[in-house]
Amino acid sequence: MYQGPTYYGRAQLKPSPFNNWVVGGYVFLAGLSGGAALISAIADAVRPIGAAGAVRRGRYLAMLAPLVGPLLLIEDLRTPSRFYNMLRVAKGTSPMSIGTWILMAFSAFAGLGAAAQFASDRLGWLWPRRAARATQVPAAVAGAGLATYTAGLFAATSTPLWAAAPQSLAVRFGASSVAAAGAALSLAERSARTRRALDAITVAALATELAATEASHRSYRRAGVDGALDGAWGQVEKIGATGLGAALPLGLLVASLALGRRAGRLSQAASLATLAGSALLRMSIMGAGDDSARRPEISLRFSQPDNLPRV
Amino acid sequence: MRSMEGIVTIVQEGRFQLTDDVGVSHLCILDRNAAAEPGQLAPLQRRQARVRVRYTRPRNLIGFLIHSVALAG
Amino acid sequence: MDMHPRALEQSNSQFGGPIPNESELTAGVRIEPGKSYGFFTDTTLCIGCKACEVACKEWNNLPADNLGLTGQSYDNTGALSANTWRHVNFIEKAGVRENDLAPFQSGWLMMSDVCKHCHNAPCLEACPTGALFKTEFDTVVVQQDICNGCGYCVPACPFGVVDLSDLDGKAHKCTLCYDRLKGGLEPACAKSCPTDSIQFGEIGELQQRARERVGELHRLGAEEAYLYGTPGAPGATGDLGHLNAFFLLTDRPETYNLPAAPTRASNRVVPSLFSGLAAVAGLALAAAAMFARR
Repeated sequence: MYQGPTYYGRAQLKPSPFNNWVVGGYVFLAGLSGGAALISAIADAVRPIGAAGAVRRGRYLAMLAPLVGPLLLIEDLRTPSRFYNMLRVAKGTSPMSIGTWILMAFSAFAGLGAAAQFASDRLGWLWPRRAARATQVPAAVAGAGLATYTAGLFAATSTPLWAAAPQSLAVRFGASSVAAAGAALSLAERSARTRRALDAITVAALATELAATEASHRSYRRAGVDGALDGAWGQVEKIGATGLGAALPLGLLVASLALGRRAGRLSQAASLATLAGSALLRMSIMGAGDDSARRPEISLRFSQPDNLPRV
Repeated sequence: MRSMEGIVTIVQEGRFQLTDDVGVSHLCILDRNAAAEPGQLAPLQRRQARVRVRYTRPRNLIGFLIHSVALAG
Repeated sequence: MDMHPRALEQSNSQFGGPIPNESELTAGVRIEPGKSYGFFTDTTLCIGCKACEVACKEWNNLPADNLGLTGQSYDNTGALSANTWRHVNFIEKAGVRENDLAPFQSGWLMMSDVCKHCHNAPCLEACPTGALFKTEFDTVVVQQDICNGCGYCVPACPFGVVDLSDLDGKAHKCTLCYDRLKGGLEPACAKSCPTDSIQFGEIGELQQRARERVGELHRLGAEEAYLYGTPGAPGATGDLGHLNAFFLLTDRPETYNLPAAPTRASNRVVPSLFSGLAAVAGLALAAAAMFARR
């Protein structure tokens, strides 16, 4: 706990002006789309015929971020008519700039892949399948970036809760994205064998997310910013995102995989919980981060010399 | 929306002073959705242009929020 | 300070326009592009008159906001914001000096806070449009015709300086009077400061002057005096480099609402991205194994 002085308890930092529902929603969709492109590409590479349904749905699901994401991001600008100024520079020091270009690249590759998929589904042409296959690898790589850069975007600020655990936050976001994509594809999957594979991917991703969550909380305690999770958003993070949105579906999925074919309902419930948890994770991290910036005893504690990176 | 006329006497970024007919200057801020860009203000100031602005009054702040700027006769 | 010889040329008060290189007369420094300029704010000289706040608002045509009283000493400004680019802190401390003055009067700290114009400025590094840039005077300025109000510079700043205006939808902060510097004028706050608590000048020379001032204060018995934001000092930590607006303080930084050891936010980009991508790559391998399973 910080024992030193504050200035009349006034905030020492300014919280981000982002609308947490809008931007948090984008971060969730970016993760879901990026994860879907990734899983779809892997399914196509490893089991091209058996998992064709998941591959197709993954290519369509990947279009969520390209179609809805820019609208959400532009909606959150205070001068939306100048959104195109995001495209006048590319800056390695700014995750928002990096993310702009990742989203552009992802939109191009995922868009081509979805269009090719559509052409082969509806028109019965064969050549677009090769086009879809050619674009899915760059789409998966960009998708991995899209699923994780948002954690870098938060970490590369002075907001204490975001800055205190740059690495584990990125692992949480990345794993949560893969889990959400696995869950969404599992919900729509008709082949029991492919659904088991998707559920197993979600299990691996949720387990990774929970381990990274524990690592994050350790970093928060070490840096002295864990108090930022005492508020309402902190409860959402602990109970909603971690408990009901990650630990519960992990248990349900493990049970469902153990029970075999009869456990479709368990898998569905787990998938819905995973998707909700993935969205809540982004929103609660944003909200609790803003809380940490507003509270001077947390920001002044975080900026003590013992928290300086070791050189 | 209310409006007033005056001369643009000082310009800083998207903010300007509008001096009305009795010599009182009003601090004006271009609204983010205003039908004018900050870059258009400096030429008005150089010409000491007479303009008509439509405005609202923001809360907890002494100044006018300008929604449109038009040349006045 | 001795009168500048050029001041004799300006005995006539009927000026046809600005005096060329007026800063030579008012601050003893000629403003030339390519050099680094900044503020040295000596809080031991501040009397809390708020002339800097007023001069800043007058020159930059910034509106008065947060009308009303805060009840926090004489500080009714509250904080730096989109409309307030200089802010005088008032800290009333009891019983810090043994003398006849009334309680609190003896230990009154005042400090005129401002954008620090960091050498490696996190706001500038975070800006995705390039609206924030380094000027030819080594200061950090938001270009209003480019800013689209994304707001990412706001949480990036380790000092809580940059702010978005909901009125015009752009980010705002101290420009170190960019327009005045281009015209050879000293920034408005420094020129108006009646006690020279705010000193404007070329960074190297200001830092030298500040070190001498600390030595002088130490000799006078004020051993608590130290610099904040000079190379190697508190405030210039975590790869931020030096601060172009630095301070002489007499109490720990937090007393003035300053972070003791701020850091450069962009240093966290690579570790974060790398960890995230490594985790996703690991999960991709796991996914391939799941699909390959019979």
